[in-house]
Order: sequence, then C-alpha cells, then structure tokens
Amino acid sequence: MARAKAVEISRRRWLLAGLALSLSRARAALRLDVTWEGDDLCVNLPQLHFLTGKPLERLHDGATVVFLTQLTLTTDNFSTAMRRAPERFAFSYDLWEETFAVTKLGPASRTIAHLSSAAAEAWCVENLAISASGLAPDRPFWLRFELRAAEPRDEAAVIGDAGINLTRLVEIFSRRPRDQQPHWSAEAGPLRLGDLKRISGRAARNL
Amino acid sequence: MKLVRLGCVLWGSLLLAGSPEQDANVNTRYTVESVELSGDKPADISTGLRSELVRMVGEKLNPSALDDLARRIRRELHVRAVSHRVLRGQTPEHVRVVFDVRGRPARFEASVPKFLYGSQSGFSGAVEGTATVGSRAWTIGLVSDGDELLERYTGVVARLEDTLASNRVRLRFQFASYREQWDSQTIDAVNRGPAAPSSALYGTRQDLEPVATFLLARPLTLSVGASFERLQPLSPATRTEMANAIISTLHYHRHLEGEDANQQDWDAAYNLRAATSLLASDFAYVRHLGEVRYVYSWGRSEISDTVNVGLLTGRAPLFERFVAGNGSLLRGWNKFELDPLGGSRLVHNSVAYRYGKVEVFYDSGALWDPGQTAVIRHSLGIGIRQNGLCVALAFPVREGHIEPVFMVGMNY
Repeated sequence: MARAKAVEISRRRWLLAGLALSLSRARAALRLDVTWEGDDLCVNLPQLHFLTGKPLERLHDGATVVFLTQLTLTTDNFSTAMRRAPERFAFSYDLWEETFAVTKLGPASRTIAHLSSAAAEAWCVENLAISASGLAPDRPFWLRFELRAAEPRDEAAVIGDAGINLTRLVEIFSRRPRDQQPHWSAEAGPLRLGDLKRISGRAARNL
Repeated sequence: MKLVRLGCVLWGSLLLAGSPEQDANVNTRYTVESVELSGDKPADISTGLRSELVRMVGEKLNPSALDDLARRIRRELHVRAVSHRVLRGQTPEHVRVVFDVRGRPARFEASVPKFLYGSQSGFSGAVEGTATVGSRAWTIGLVSDGDELLERYTGVVARLEDTLASNRVRLRFQFASYREQWDSQTIDAVNRGPAAPSSALYGTRQDLEPVATFLLARPLTLSVGASFERLQPLSPATRTEMANAIISTLHYHRHLEGEDANQQDWDAAYNLRAATSLLASDFAYVRHLGEVRYVYSWGRSEISDTVNVGLLTGRAPLFERFVAGNGSLLRGWNKFELDPLGGSRLVHNSVAYRYGKVEVFYDSGALWDPGQTAVIRHSLGIGIRQNGLCVALAFPVREGHIEPVFMVGMNY
C-alpha cells in the first residue's frame, strides 16, 4: 500500500514541482557585494563560478581563454551609464601542475599563477574596481557586473576577402546553432556611499 | 650603425611578436614533444606544411604559431575547421600538440566574390564555383560588373590555380570573355574627342592571364605574369586590337596586436601593367597603381585610412583608365560626371571610422589627364557594416543640391 502511494504522483504535483524548480532557479541570481575602498568601488561575488563548460574544456586543451568583464555605475537605475570599467583577463591552465594562471591584460598588466579554479576566479573579481569619484555620499547609485568568455576566432568564416562562401553558408544552416558563449551578470542597488563602510588603501588587492 | 642594429632588433621583435593573450599562456614554458594530426584526411597536407609542424618539436610551445598553422591546414585541406589541443607529454615538462581536422575536404565550393547594388550603377555581382582536385583548384564563374570600370562587362571567367614548393609559389591561369555595354555619356565623349578614335569602344573583350605568385617572406608576396587582351571594336570596319602587357604586383600585409587589445593592419600594394610591342601589342602604355591601407582598431572602434595613387602613360585601352565615383573611390559621385572617359592620373584618400556596426567615411580625390587641372572632390557617407556586408548612403560634397547615393553590397 505504501509503495503504491510513493509512485502515485498526480499531474498537479508535477506542475507544482516544475514551478518550484523554476522559482528556485530565479532566486539563484548572483549576489553582488559592493565595498568602498579608497576612491574605488570594489565588488565581491561569492557565488560566481565561471570556469565551467566550454571555456573550461578549452583551458584543459591548453588554450588561452579570455574573459571580458565590465562594471557599470549608474545613478538612474541603468537608464544611462555614469561610468563603465571594462577589463580583460587571459586564463590558462598549466597542464603539468594542473593549476590556473591569470593575466590581467592592459597597460598595467599583472599575472598570477599556481591557483585553483576558485582562487583564479576570485583573483579576477578582486581586480575589478570602478571609480566612485564625483558620486555624492547620499546619492543613490546602482552597480552592474557583467562577465563573458570572448568568442574564439571563427575559423570557418562565411564572409571573407574572397566574398561569400555559399558552400559554408549551407553547412552552417544545416547544423545546429552554435552554443552561445556563457555569460554572467549581477546587479546591486540602490546603494549610497554614505551607507558603505570605507576601507582606506587597496594594498590587499594589488597582488 | 647602432641605430641600424636597434632598428633591426625592433623590426625583428615586431615580426616575432605574438598576441598578449597567447603570450600569457602558462604552457609556453613547456617543450613540444610531438605534433599529431587527427580527424578527416590529415595525410593530405603538403610536405612543406608538414615539415613546419615537425619543426615545432623540441621548441617551446608557441600558441600563436598553433593558431596560424591551424588556419593554414584548414586552407590547404579546404575543410570546415581545424582546432588544436595541447596535452601532457610522455616526459615531464613536455607537451603534445594535436590538430583536429573536422569536416571532409570540400571538393566543390560555390562563392559570391562580389555583390554590389548602387542607385547609379545598378547591380554588379559575380558567382563562382571551384572544384579542388589535389593541389589544383578549377574555377568557373559568371560576372556582370557595372561599377569597377567605365563599361559594364558581362561574361564568364575560368581559372586554374596550383601551388608548388610548399605553398611558396602559386600559379594562376585565367581566361575571361566579356561582352561590353557602354554608357551614352562615354559614347558621346569618344565621338567628340579628337584624341579618342572610334576604335576606343570595343564590343567584346577576351583576356588570357598567366600569373605566378612568390611568397618572398611571410608578409611579402610578388606576382609576375602577363595579360593578353583581345578587343573586338564596336565598329565592324575597325580591326581587332591586342593589349598585351607584362603585369606585376608587390603586396605586403602585416597584422599587429598591441598590449591594450588594440590591433593594427598594414596593407600595401604596388601594381604595374606595361604593354609593349615586344608582346605584339597594338597599345603601348605603362600603368602604375599604388595602394596603402592602415587600420587601427580598439574595443568596438576602428579607424582606417586608404591612399590610392595611379599614373598611366602612353596609349591605353579604356579598361586600363582610372575610374572614380564608383563603389570604392569617391563614393556618391557619378563616374561619368567626373570623367566619362576616366583619367590617366589618380589621387585618392578615404578615411573611415566605425563604432560597432555604424560606419562614417570621408572620401577625397582627383582624377585628371595631362594638361587638365586636377580638381579635388569630396564625398561623405554613413552606413552599417557587418562582416563585410555594408549598406550605405554617400553624399557628394558640392554646391547647390544634395543627391545621396544608396549602396548595398559586400567588400566595398
């Protein structure tokens, strides 16, 4: 009798279970913590794990994977952007040590190696900052964090110097659409500088 | 002497520089133990390319070189994609490189090398089909072009291409047969001009062009060959004329990536066509055409500048004369309004700025003949460009009225 009860799941229960699952996914949005350090706003995303899926496969194949990040500061709930801070990080995976290395690309290029995947992700986030200068302490502001893996170069381009390759075009329409490059985003706000505890200096971040 | 040495070192470092992303790869400290090819038909690659793969063994891993080799393998095998993997080697501190060849070699490919619609010039386009057998590529195509030259030429093109000496020499043998259509303004100008005989207009044109291209150093190529053109005049009373010329092109291309993800592309080409009676030519002329193009891109922005300079001396057929006011030069102007017979002197500069898909451009240039005053003309344009496809409105800058020209096409 008890066994019969266990397998009897009504259609309504299935629907409720599906709804609960979708709600739990909606709630699983990334948490974005904001700190005020010196003149900059810095972020922390404890739930963020982006070294997964295709990018991780490419890293394990010895490739360099570039991740693009952007912090956007706004005072009108993202109607207009007051300031943006884009960054690029090149990740690679040491095939013998089985650890990750990260290079922050740009004029002030910095590299760190011998990291676990979690530590590499954390180092990337720790090196993000956006200037808070010109922001009044009592003025509400919002901050958005975005991260995506850069598109690998499309080697089978349809349009090139030689024009449109019709054969390749037919091939592309014949196969399944390519997976979108994974991307992550999180938002915080409204916040006020006056409500944030200001930490002087950024020595801990400048590794 | 020190300056020369310093210059050599700087130039060498520029040539050898990889991208900052690839330099950041932690595996560059490991030595390549072996290089393998897997997938479809990997055995078909040329001996030269295979020896380049073998040369990597014993060297430190260079991810930029892997990207370049993957591209070259794909091009040589005509396959859909070639990717590469780096794996641990048998001995510590060594790695294995595996190139995965995906997709069967395309034995037949169809392409559209040119497509353009201009509200003044109408449709221009070409369709080609290429069959590859071994290292030889046989191409046959149809073309109808009312943009590039003074006349609209419509006809067939057949081409055989082959590569020798590990891709360092490329041979091309092309035959084309066109039927010509002339604009009434060109016909009037020919009939009016005392210097232009009625035989200047031809009804059909056949071209036979054998060319060999040599890879001198990786970014520098030299093409040498000949062009045998047979022109059948419109007037039946006039005899067929030959325009036989020695042709040569020196081409340089360099791509540089900076530290801050900026990219620079340098393209320079010099083209010479010299017709002489030694080749049984009825025309004797020398045509020089130089082009330098520089592209700087950063983030979503790109700025480019292209300079063209042309000089034609002697008696040349109309298809050799320079034309502006088409889809490439002085866009927006009417080429027949600028000069219905084209010019023998050309100077042109085009500056374009692109942000994302939106592009604005400014063309300026002059087209003239000896004894005439060179008049610099300008045009402005705005368009949307995506992967070589462009939709644009071009405005010739002149007093009086504004008459925009609409253009849609590819690679113009």
